[in-house]
Amino acid sequence: MPIFDKGKNIARTKTIEESVLIERLCQRDAAALDYLYDHYSGALYSTVLRIVRKEEVAEECLQDVFIKIWDRITSYDSSKGRLFTWMLNIARNQAIDKTRSKEMSQGRKTDDIDNLVNRIDRQESAESSIETIGLKEMLTKLPEDQRFVIDHLYLKGFTQSELAEEFGIPLGTIKTRTRMAMKELRSILNVT
Amino acid sequence: MNIQEYISSGILESYALGEVTEAERASVEQALKKYPEIREELQKVEETLEIVASATAIQPAAHVKEKIMSTIKTAKPEAKIISLTGEQPFWKYATAASIAIALFSSYMAFQYRQLWKADSTELAQIKSENQRMAEDYNVVNQKLDKIQGDLSVMESIAFTKVVMKGTANDTNALASVYWNSSTQEVFLSIQQLKAISKDNQFQLWAIVNGKPVDAGVFDLNFAGLQKMKNINGAVAFAVTIEPRGGKENPTMETMQVIGSVATNPS
Repeated sequence: MPIFDKGKNIARTKTIEESVLIERLCQRDAAALDYLYDHYSGALYSTVLRIVRKEEVAEECLQDVFIKIWDRITSYDSSKGRLFTWMLNIARNQAIDKTRSKEMSQGRKTDDIDNLVNRIDRQESAESSIETIGLKEMLTKLPEDQRFVIDHLYLKGFTQSELAEEFGIPLGTIKTRTRMAMKELRSILNVT
Repeated sequence: MNIQEYISSGILESYALGEVTEAERASVEQALKKYPEIREELQKVEETLEIVASATAIQPAAHVKEKIMSTIKTAKPEAKIISLTGEQPFWKYATAASIAIALFSSYMAFQYRQLWKADSTELAQIKSENQRMAEDYNVVNQKLDKIQGDLSVMESIAFTKVVMKGTANDTNALASVYWNSSTQEVFLSIQQLKAISKDNQFQLWAIVNGKPVDAGVFDLNFAGLQKMKNINGAVAFAVTIEPRGGKENPTMETMQVIGSVATNPS
């Protein structure tokens, strides 16, 4: 398909200026979405997968995420944050919505033992692939209370307010801990 | 605004994670416009999010991409029709949207007006209550001042107390005068006087050099002490009933009470 070839050409040029990319997305340039997918699908997919825990649900979710990005790109405002953050939030929200949807909870109820075993296997495979990537190692370098927050926000798909409510920690404390943890991660990752 | 405090509250992290209320979002967006330090910090926070997400990336199965690309390809022409066929649908949507917005805003305006009305009624109630309490307080304060003033007169050794006893007209009647012979001040205190018609008034007289001198008229509508006209050199005080406004000379037949000033005041 010519459109994909075009996309690959762009991908090979490695980086497109973000503003150019956004402009082309706004102009409904499919090759730009192709480029976007190649660059960001991994990061977004792992985010979604950590929250929904099921590969096929995560795949469906990721499709919805990219369609949403495509449909809503004109509402993205670069003065309010980076493109990646905007996409990450679409992904997180999509995944969190998914886990709360009826579809998912009904799915859980009707699981029989075989499915359950299957799901646990899949979960473990998802988790082990997370582990191999080193986030867990990265997290072990964090103090206990910060690791707790990041683990729940990043890996378990909690929102800050859910975390506060579920564990009876003041929301303000969660927020400052998130900040401390992210600062710590920054220094672990050598981001200045 | 204390920028460091703002940053260390963790609000930028919450903002980047999309976990802020509408009000917080507005505040962050305003702060971003205003303070380069905050823009810089948010940039760092977002970079961290991106790096952590990239470092933990998992490549999805190839069919996912195919599905997405084919979905947008089929959706694409539809999008073009809307943008190219131009005015008609656009105006339709615009009209529909503005009607919806108008309806929504009137509804919200109504809602807020209701809230505002409820609030302002409550506020008015609180205000008037507050005013009433202030008035009460003033009344009490004035009463207290009067009592303190009266008490200082009664306790003062500079004032001579003249007890006026009832005459044959009303043997139960009783009133007193507090008189300061040096400052000439006269205060009247009523213990017992019978009510009289509205056309008449009581009049206090002082006997000076054998003649009655007007010391002022009064009604029975006061408590404690009533200040009367200044009097010099009185030997006695008496009260008569006179036509409203008083007279130049007392009507002796109506005398209610009379009392002499003690000859050797303490």
